[in-house]
Amino acid sequence: MTDDLKNLAGEMRRRNIPPRYVAAQLKRGVPAQDIIAAWPVRPHLDRIGSRQWRRRLLIATYGGWLLVALLSKLLSAGDQRFLILPPILLANAVAALILLNRRTFLNREVLARDSGLDERLVQNRNRAFRLAFQMFAPIALIGWLISFLAFQLEGTERGTGDGFLIYMGVALLGTTLPTVIWAWREPDPPEPEPPAT
Amino acid sequence: MSPSIQNRIAVLRAERGLSRQQLADALDINVQTVGYLERGDYNPSLELAFRIAEHFGLPLEAVFSRQPFAPMSSQLYRKEESA
Repeated sequence: MTDDLKNLAGEMRRRNIPPRYVAAQLKRGVPAQDIIAAWPVRPHLDRIGSRQWRRRLLIATYGGWLLVALLSKLLSAGDQRFLILPPILLANAVAALILLNRRTFLNREVLARDSGLDERLVQNRNRAFRLAFQMFAPIALIGWLISFLAFQLEGTERGTGDGFLIYMGVALLGTTLPTVIWAWREPDPPEPEPPAT
Repeated sequence: MSPSIQNRIAVLRAERGLSRQQLADALDINVQTVGYLERGDYNPSLELAFRIAEHFGLPLEAVFSRQPFAPMSSQLYRKEESA
């Protein structure tokens, strides 16, 4: 019995079966195996995750960069601990992209050709790229200006650290912004439904 | 934001015993798009709207409307009474 329930819980996650549906079926006396058998395994590419989860991930990604920027201001460039910051930044960006890809596949849609997308997805992708460009261009320009000023005012050593940080921030935006905009705006996925009989 | 267009896709799909995936395959669109259409999160293009109506074998105005739809059963009952 415990094994059955454990198996059911695992299959509920795998097949995205709503708990309310399972509870109703169990109440009606439907065996766990029949409930599971009625639901096909979720197609991998249709996983987009909840909007709340996606937004948290995106805030964590850009928040990670802000945290590193703050730490770099507290540590001096000569400090050995300063060297740990670039790997943290890189790991943060890579982790976000992997999680977005594994859990949502939104990046795949951003990168897909028109023929692989329906009209809604084409519209979403175009909107994401348009907004990303509108946001990225001024940020990159301001970033360039600040890093130039940092070199002029802070000298080579400190200015290099700040310049690198700005470069990483702009690179993070450049590589993630279209996906991030898409992930931020895409509504929650529709409630899963039992298969048609 | 564009004004929401009402549709009967969910009702028609349920009536015909189709899953979202089956309807998505028939219309050559993403399965999530079917869900968003049903929920009113996405307004289809005219071309897709026609394809949907043709798939159900109904005129466009029977599937889409700018005003909220009356329940199909009451419309049907009224039609039968007036006949």
